[in-house]
Amino acid sequence: MSGLGDLQSLTSSITAVTSPFRTYLNDLYDKYRSLNDGAVADYIPELTLVKPEWFGICVITADGQTFEVGECDQLFTIQSISKAFVFGLALEDHGREYVHSKVNVEPTGEAFNSIVLDEATNRPYNPMVNAGAIATADLIRGANATERLKRVLAMFKRYTGRDHDINVPVFLSEKATGFRNRAMAYLMLNFGMVSDKIDETLDLYFQQCSILVTARDLAMLAATLANGGVNPVTQERALDEHYVQDVISVMLTCGMYDASGEWCYRVGIPAKSGVGGGITAVVPGKLGIGTFSPLLDAKGNSVRGIKVCQDLSQDFGLHLFNAAEPERKLEEWIAGVSDFNDW
Amino acid sequence: MPKVVSIHSYRGGTGKSNFTANLATTVATLGNRVGVVDTDVPSPGIHNLFCLAPEQMDKTLNNYLWGDSPIEAAAYDVSANIGLGEEGHLFLVPSSVKADDIARILKDGYDVKLMNDGFRTLVKSLQLDYLFIDTHPGLSKETFLSIAISHVLVLILRPDKQDYQGTAVTVDVARQLKVRKMLLAINKVHSKLNPEALKQKVESTYQETVAGVFPLSEDVVQLASEGVFCVTYPEHPVSQEFRRVAQKIIEE
Repeated sequence: MSGLGDLQSLTSSITAVTSPFRTYLNDLYDKYRSLNDGAVADYIPELTLVKPEWFGICVITADGQTFEVGECDQLFTIQSISKAFVFGLALEDHGREYVHSKVNVEPTGEAFNSIVLDEATNRPYNPMVNAGAIATADLIRGANATERLKRVLAMFKRYTGRDHDINVPVFLSEKATGFRNRAMAYLMLNFGMVSDKIDETLDLYFQQCSILVTARDLAMLAATLANGGVNPVTQERALDEHYVQDVISVMLTCGMYDASGEWCYRVGIPAKSGVGGGITAVVPGKLGIGTFSPLLDAKGNSVRGIKVCQDLSQDFGLHLFNAAEPERKLEEWIAGVSDFNDW
Repeated sequence: MPKVVSIHSYRGGTGKSNFTANLATTVATLGNRVGVVDTDVPSPGIHNLFCLAPEQMDKTLNNYLWGDSPIEAAAYDVSANIGLGEEGHLFLVPSSVKADDIARILKDGYDVKLMNDGFRTLVKSLQLDYLFIDTHPGLSKETFLSIAISHVLVLILRPDKQDYQGTAVTVDVARQLKVRKMLLAINKVHSKLNPEALKQKVESTYQETVAGVFPLSEDVVQLASEGVFCVTYPEHPVSQEFRRVAQKIIEE
């Protein structure tokens, strides 16, 4: 980097610290850190090892400015959030029509682990429920299990700009207890919706759910989608621009499990949550939000994460269909324009 | 609304701490609640001017940056020490002068976000009208931070070539950080120089306002670092010049 580049990057990191928007995030963090509703996921013992007080909020703009508060370096398993991004990879591997012939894009209103397929076509309802995610994982190309996993990990690296590991105990534990997912896979095999390499595909599915990420990674995943599929910091393309809309629209209609309808109505930001406590939320063209707090509501969504997204949406008018003048103008809060006073 | 004023110089020895103490005190005597933070963690010193002895400092800025204590616990009301009347209040957040503490913060660094949040907490909890930030000479992350959050940045320079060059660098950085208002102060001007001509030359060089020109003063040196000059000698020309600079800052 030239001297000018270094000065600019230092300047931009300082501006991110002093920006009124970070102060706003700080206040949001203080507002919800004492909210202790919900419970940590406990369907496998490994997930109960997280600390319920962990809480991180990270926002990355579509031009790469990063704002973070709280535990944004804490690793946790990505869980269902992986489904949205693996769906994008499947689209790149096979194209829209073929993927659609295997997985529908209809919200279910059912829990994420329900064993239900579309009766007319035998397709799983959408790529965000477990059945659909398994069918999607089946579509990931690669000569063998290792290569398929490596392609998934490489894809996440393109989004976040860093290498990702898998939490092996979580993976083994999911694998050992995932009878329901196994049942779904066999049901789909029965209808010819997945290939017969069931064990390999289920392993890949359990592995993709066990990938370790941070709140910052989740914000970067979202910011990359918000930036048209290009990581705003590394400038690497993570997803073919033609499929950005596919991934984001399925997040909007199906991303928050069976709370997706209300989420779309109240928050209006395409998002995907995971039982590890993460939420990734995309405001197209503007920013990506990543939150981490492992206390979940009955539907499996992070309680504090929901609150944070609700507040951000309301305060800055980030609802996709918002037409009213927002209480706060995002650009001004981020830039901290000269006549701005938040002291 | 509260105002943040950062005092900075590119090189050491410009009289930065003395300038900060006098300017902050002058603003306080006008009936304001003023805070001063010594962010010069590698070489703290301004506490001497406010007559705060190291043994009186239970907590310092260092303790806050290490997460040991809230920043308010490191704020000392020094109004009485410097002979401020009833009308104003002055609080100082000193940095630790213990060699171990300095070594630790230099070795481990600190989270610049914490510094930023600490300033804001301090302004709120002490209900400050003005927060003055005394910085370490040169450019460092706390310099960048203090410049970025300032409503007014005061750059101090002496009339010599090294200071001119260094100030040009700092002015560039400050503009890059979109500083809201920059003022220059020329200090230690020897008697052979014409202050008005010097002021004009500096203003045209940097295209920024010179808020004050201060002579190389034996009177100031005599008081050394014990007490605030403008309280001891309120009618001295130097004190009057501080009042003019204070007025510029208040008017901003």
